[in-house]
Amino acid sequence: MSNANEHTVEPTIITREFDAPRQLVFDAWTQAKHLKNWMFPQPGWTNDYAIADIRPGGSDLYKMTAPNGHEMWLLTKYEEITPPESLVFRQYMSNEAGDILPNPQRPNWPKELRTTIKLEKIGGKTKLTLIWQPINPSKEEAETFEASRAQHGNGWSGGLEQLKSYLAGL
Amino acid sequence: MARAKTTLDPFNAIAEPKRRALIEALVGKELTVTEIVELMGWNQPMVSKHLSVLKQVGLVSEKKEGRYRVYKVDADLLKIIQNWVIQFEPYWNNKLDNLEAYLNQIQAKEVNDE
Repeated sequence: MSNANEHTVEPTIITREFDAPRQLVFDAWTQAKHLKNWMFPQPGWTNDYAIADIRPGGSDLYKMTAPNGHEMWLLTKYEEITPPESLVFRQYMSNEAGDILPNPQRPNWPKELRTTIKLEKIGGKTKLTLIWQPINPSKEEAETFEASRAQHGNGWSGGLEQLKSYLAGL
Repeated sequence: MARAKTTLDPFNAIAEPKRRALIEALVGKELTVTEIVELMGWNQPMVSKHLSVLKQVGLVSEKKEGRYRVYKVDADLLKIIQNWVIQFEPYWNNKLDNLEAYLNQIQAKEVNDE
């Protein structure tokens, strides 16, 4: 509480209800055979998991491939996994060796972001709450996260979809 | 005022829906302000204002062609930004859409298999 360099930022919280049992939704978040089918930016991409050590303290490393063949790597570090109700992880841009890459295009974006997934059983359905928060951000990182908040939820969906389709074909 | 200056950050520049629409209209084309006014149905000051922001972050460039100035999108910079957006995945909604579609799909398959 006393660190002068500490800047608190409100987390971004997104909720979504899925018409699926909680165990299945939990499996979809914690098993590579499921993750490879949806953890990508839009339909048409494919994921390949080089490492899928999905347990507290473990990591996964995967390659996303765009329809045009463009490849990118992501690293996930898992902090907590509580079946079938929650998981906590951090994600990073990476290379295929699993080295965390700096982000030259956006230097003030928070370097450490924690994502918490909570799953609640509602009858046969599942309510998902996604909590997304920078960890010990600098003042600049806190401001950059705050300034982009409007886009964390719905803001990007419409217009940017077409842009994405176009760029995928470049 | 915590908001980063739009003019300094291309990510915030494209966060404004009208500017995204303008970028989409300009992709693969070179248009004059008059043509953009007609295409978008916005007034000229609004078009000029948004073009000016996009120019300042380098997403749009202008050149003189005879008596007119034409505007075009820098696709390379757009691509860098888009790569970054995808790579670092700052925005979760698309993925939750994917998850929903996938859950529906595998559950439908289970029913069919029975």
